[in-house]
Amino acid sequence: MDVRMNQGHLLLAVTLIVCNSQLLVVANSWWSLAMNPIQRPEMYIIGAQPLCSQLTGLSQGQRKLCQLYQDHMVYIGEGAKTGIKECQYQFRQRRWNCSTVDNTSVFGRVMHIGSRETAFTYAVSAAGVVNAVSRACREGELSTCGCSRAARPRDLPRDWLWGGCGDNVNYGYRFAREFVDAREREKNYPRGSVEHARTLMNLQNNEAGRMAVYNLANVACKCHGVSGSCSLKTCWLQLADFRRVGEFLKEKYDSAAAMRINRRGKLELVNNRFNPPTGEDLVYIDPSPDYCLRNETTGSLGTQGRLCNKTSEGMDGCELMCCGRGYDQFKTYKHERCHCKFHWCCYVKCKRCTSLVDQFVCK
Amino acid sequence: MKSLASLSLWRIIILILPLVSLGQTFEYGWPDNYDKPPQCVDIPVDLRLCQGVGYHQMLLPNLLEHESMAEVKQQAGSWVPLLHKNCDPGTQLLLCSLFAPVCMERPIYPCRRLCENVRDGCSPIMAAFGFPWPHILTCDKFPQDDMCINTPNDTSTSEPNGHPPVCPPCDNEMKMDVILDHMCASEFAIKTKIQEVKRENMDRKVTLQKKKRTIKMGTLKKKDLKKLTLYLKNGADCPCTQLDNTRNTYLIMGRKVDKQYLLTGIHKWDKSNREFKKTMKKLKSHKCPAYENVFK
Repeated sequence: MDVRMNQGHLLLAVTLIVCNSQLLVVANSWWSLAMNPIQRPEMYIIGAQPLCSQLTGLSQGQRKLCQLYQDHMVYIGEGAKTGIKECQYQFRQRRWNCSTVDNTSVFGRVMHIGSRETAFTYAVSAAGVVNAVSRACREGELSTCGCSRAARPRDLPRDWLWGGCGDNVNYGYRFAREFVDAREREKNYPRGSVEHARTLMNLQNNEAGRMAVYNLANVACKCHGVSGSCSLKTCWLQLADFRRVGEFLKEKYDSAAAMRINRRGKLELVNNRFNPPTGEDLVYIDPSPDYCLRNETTGSLGTQGRLCNKTSEGMDGCELMCCGRGYDQFKTYKHERCHCKFHWCCYVKCKRCTSLVDQFVCK
Repeated sequence: MKSLASLSLWRIIILILPLVSLGQTFEYGWPDNYDKPPQCVDIPVDLRLCQGVGYHQMLLPNLLEHESMAEVKQQAGSWVPLLHKNCDPGTQLLLCSLFAPVCMERPIYPCRRLCENVRDGCSPIMAAFGFPWPHILTCDKFPQDDMCINTPNDTSTSEPNGHPPVCPPCDNEMKMDVILDHMCASEFAIKTKIQEVKRENMDRKVTLQKKKRTIKMGTLKKKDLKKLTLYLKNGADCPCTQLDNTRNTYLIMGRKVDKQYLLTGIHKWDKSNREFKKTMKKLKSHKCPAYENVFK
């Protein structure tokens, strides 16, 4: 009887620990702001405090920033969404294709592994926030920032005007650093531990993402003289197209550095024959999991059911995408608009074309 | 066995359909970028370039990357004088398809042929005012398929012009709107008489009398004003009744191109004309679109 009671208590304790662990998993990420868009920004003005506390995925520090910068939250959500979309574009032909699994953890357990893919995801999300906040400043949406105050470039021709309203990349960078890194900075893991290594990895990759947007911002000019001439030309600082940021970070992903934590609590290269990473490089601390098969532990969704390209020898080819398991082939009808014609004024009339196409799906 | 295979096939088909539809959406929607999609807005009444173009709503930003309505109006304003010249029936349609593009799921550009017709008809007149055909209207970049804007009744046959063309700066209606538009498109305007008119290569050289009154100073300096000589660009042989009559007083407009002053408009200073008198009165309060304001 006594033994049975002890067993019961132990079972209950184990259950509570597991539930707690799951809760930690669920409430892990500010990326969830991308999945639950804030529909009415003005709600933050009326009842600020309760709404911040209701947002899932924010850490304690991030929730405090939410209360201080209520009008920024919409753009953090938009930035996260931009990052996720770009991630899905850059990895669209890969085994792991940046799929979202639910609205709270967003990417699922796969982000618990300190892999290259995790490194890219953290970087591109942070970059998305810089992008969205910088643009919101320019559009006058945020109370604490406005047009860019970047200095006139020295190599700008003297008769060109420097003015206009530039994207405020400086503010976007600084705010993204405060918000995104808040989650990492409030953790207190023992120095040299695995958790500490992961925190340092996240900080490095967040910074790499932010720096990508910052460095790729460029000078844009517009001719606005009489009849569209270039007798009057005004230039300003402008964000690069976010696709360029994604491509830049993808190259960083391909050349990411494998790191481990040393006893002094610093990340160091696993293979010291390589150059140490700069502030703009991605780093990872774990090997990538096997993305071929579905695995509940790693969070891998597997490639079964994925479309593949029979004639390709790249990652999107059936041999590699399906991990040698083979693929099914079938024909399907493809309907699309064709022979479109614009009619005055104003509508477009198209015909409907049907073609039979082969489709290949991983077994 | 058969039922299992069939089930699997249907599952795959259902899985694929969204991808196909997504592909369709991508193909005909706005290009996949992260910026805000353009908004559909009413064409404002004071966007005079595009009044009566044949539709009432436009996309903003437009196809010339003008982001605000203020910018659209400011840039479109300098094109209004060209409309008054009637150099090609498709002028307004070409310009407005870019300045105030029609609201569609995807941008509709003007057809290349429309652009080439307007360019061929209008660039000689623009050259007379010292303006080259601008880079923003380069015709090569416009489409040649059916998904583009053409004149509604497009006839390839072009009628040969019977009479010689009037000099563009001299061919102006005595109308307030026209004069004010030309005033804004010109850098300076003065009231004076003509002293002498002489041919010089392809141009006509117009020497003005000493006595002048400045209506609009613009970029002109006082010392330049004294010995001002204007050129009628490519106007050696075109008819200009104003230049033939040196006894009258004229409202003369011009602008500086490189080191030459070009004549951009000439109207008889006719106080007995009610329209002219109204224009001069209006001129005191009329404000031209200020270019710098849009970007400051």
